[in-house]
Amino acid sequence: MQPTADQRRWMYRNMVLSRYLEERIEALYMEGKTPVFNMAKGPIPGEMHLSNGQEPCAVGVCAHLTADDIVTATHRPHHIAVAKGVDLDAMVAEIFGKATGLSGGRGGHMHLFDGAVNFSCSGIIGEGLGPAVGAALSRQMQGKPGVAVAFMGEGAANQGAFHEALNLAAVWQLPVVFVIEDNAWGISVAKQASTAVPRNATRAAAYGMPGHHVADNDVEGVYAAAGEAIARAREGLGPSLIEIETVRLAGHFMGDGEDYRPKGEKAGLTDPIPRYRAALLEAGVLDEAADAALVAEAHERVEAAIRFAQQSDFLPPEAALETVFV
Amino acid sequence: MTTDITVPADLWEGDTEGVITAWLVNDGAEVAQGDLVAEVMVEKAQYEIEAPVSGRLSIAKEEDEVVSKGTLIATLEA
Amino acid sequence: MTTVTKSASRKLTMARAMAEATAQEMRADPRVFVMGEDVGPLGGVFGNTRGLFDEFGPERIRDTPISETAFIGAAVGAASDGMRPIVELMFVDFFGVCMDAIYNLMAKNTYFSGGKVPVPMVLMTSTGGGYSDAGQHSQCLYGTFAHLPGMKVVVPSNAYDAKGLMTAAIRDDNPVVFMYHKALQGMGWLGTEKGATVAVPEEAYTVEIGKAAVAREGQDLTLVSLGAGVHHCLRAAQALEEEGFSAEVIDLRSLVPLDRETVRESVAKTGRLIVVDEDYHSYGVSGEIIASVAEHPGCRLRAAPKRVAYPDIPIPFAPTMEQWALPNADKIVAAFHQMLNEH
Repeated sequence: MQPTADQRRWMYRNMVLSRYLEERIEALYMEGKTPVFNMAKGPIPGEMHLSNGQEPCAVGVCAHLTADDIVTATHRPHHIAVAKGVDLDAMVAEIFGKATGLSGGRGGHMHLFDGAVNFSCSGIIGEGLGPAVGAALSRQMQGKPGVAVAFMGEGAANQGAFHEALNLAAVWQLPVVFVIEDNAWGISVAKQASTAVPRNATRAAAYGMPGHHVADNDVEGVYAAAGEAIARAREGLGPSLIEIETVRLAGHFMGDGEDYRPKGEKAGLTDPIPRYRAALLEAGVLDEAADAALVAEAHERVEAAIRFAQQSDFLPPEAALETVFV
Repeated sequence: MTTDITVPADLWEGDTEGVITAWLVNDGAEVAQGDLVAEVMVEKAQYEIEAPVSGRLSIAKEEDEVVSKGTLIATLEA
Repeated sequence: MTTVTKSASRKLTMARAMAEATAQEMRADPRVFVMGEDVGPLGGVFGNTRGLFDEFGPERIRDTPISETAFIGAAVGAASDGMRPIVELMFVDFFGVCMDAIYNLMAKNTYFSGGKVPVPMVLMTSTGGGYSDAGQHSQCLYGTFAHLPGMKVVVPSNAYDAKGLMTAAIRDDNPVVFMYHKALQGMGWLGTEKGATVAVPEEAYTVEIGKAAVAREGQDLTLVSLGAGVHHCLRAAQALEEEGFSAEVIDLRSLVPLDRETVRESVAKTGRLIVVDEDYHSYGVSGEIIASVAEHPGCRLRAAPKRVAYPDIPIPFAPTMEQWALPNADKIVAAFHQMLNEH
């Protein structure tokens, strides 16, 4: 399955947009945190898990989805939210904790909910899978179209929830696609030290579903595997598992010393964005002028969202008591 | 004889500034060579400062003060 | 060779105190080992296994997959088979994925066996917020764990107690949940409470599980708290002293067993009680402490007791909302003023 030229540019643009967003968040996050790194300080307090390097997973999958399809994401959600079309202004405002944020600042960067595009995420490992299965079940029971995609890291494949959700989706033949973003590290623990099989895609066999393995963080490899899995789900043929070898170009979280990573390991990783850019230029899908315009437009979109967030107010503190129930 | 305790140049990579998060010995106390005396934090990573010799500790940089590699943080009087 | 004896004023952060207790017990007892996420070369996300991997190696300091049900369940099995495991649940908020291993196995197997199959293990877990980590990484859940019978629960407020309680927990033949507040660990990035880094003896010692401490003596008011809340109480007591009131501060240190006697004795003296708890307001530690005082026949309260606790809401991310919701010294002082106005 080959993406069209438009889809290629869409994927590239969303990668650029996501990365620039992360770069700006990184800089803003550090405001107030140097030289003393106190997580509570600065315009963006709390933990911050950047997705730099993992963009191919998000765009290659979401290129096949509409706003009506469901996505559940992880503690590292920004690239997926961007690709799924989450309202960027409201998302960035949420990351700043502002009143105009998706939840008025109650959730923050690990708990982004945008019902308009059926996107949500959770800070607990493996806990996006059950809700994706349930959303797919809901569509099946209501006779409505749509697929659910659950993103997770490779560490989540060792959680009970992973195995239970895959089995449940398979036994009920639900329109779900499970996507593993394998960045090789669960905080400080290397995948090979925590996972009994070299490839998590092989675990799909245990639940009678297709298992796809995408090597080398390949954007169009993700596109092809996701296209097949999502088409299969839409046809009512049941769930699939996709494992993508991706890269974590940043630390687990901001401030991570990463002393646990072998020397030189990170330097050997390939940034997927310049590589895809070169491929698109080579293929004639993009030229230098179009690229410059696309990048400038994406940057301006991010800057506009940041301005929106910065200019927004916080909710009054007492609003903390609201929306516990509807 | 007075010996300086400075932040070692190889304590962490790069030239980022750090902060003293804890003195693990009170000012004026006797410490032995190799004793852990302070913790320095650089972003989320914590590094240890040991006494290079034995002696009476005189703190020059208090907790929460910002330090760089080479900063004199205390002296030891033998 | 140096002959200088180390100063009695040697201080440790709570993270180091936990690691030192663990190392000393591991040297003394080959049955003791540690399992958890990032407890190995990283030394624990909150620093409490730092240095252990270098000394004891991967056989006894075991990094686990993100599989809490499996490794906490495994600790139960190992404990009942002659080992003394220490396991870490990185954030107490993650208990949801593994609570069966904790409260149906760890907490009940001793009873199911009529006391013949003990479960000598320690479950250490981080608690607390205040740094905008939002509702899945900031809870205390003291009441949740203390409510369920069959496991001891300790909550240190400083490094001295942390070392002594950890040593006691490892030596205990029962399961002990060791709940440490992130702000007390001495990790500066979490906004460290300086009062938690205190002098700690080098030799191994225990702090009795089930015995509260009087952190400050007073005559007019009893403040009862645990963990980080003790430091809020000490600051409030300082502020009240400037107003001419003398507040006694009780550091519970242990929730199971709960030292009701020390609390009652203090309230019998002061006649006024405020409980300070970063856990949720309802159905928790604060209610239990007040009930323990009120139900006692000797209860002679001069004023209705009060609690300064977390509102019954998920913990919000935005610092404006989170800081507003957290207990602090000002709220304790205000509660006392209100108490005086009501009587």
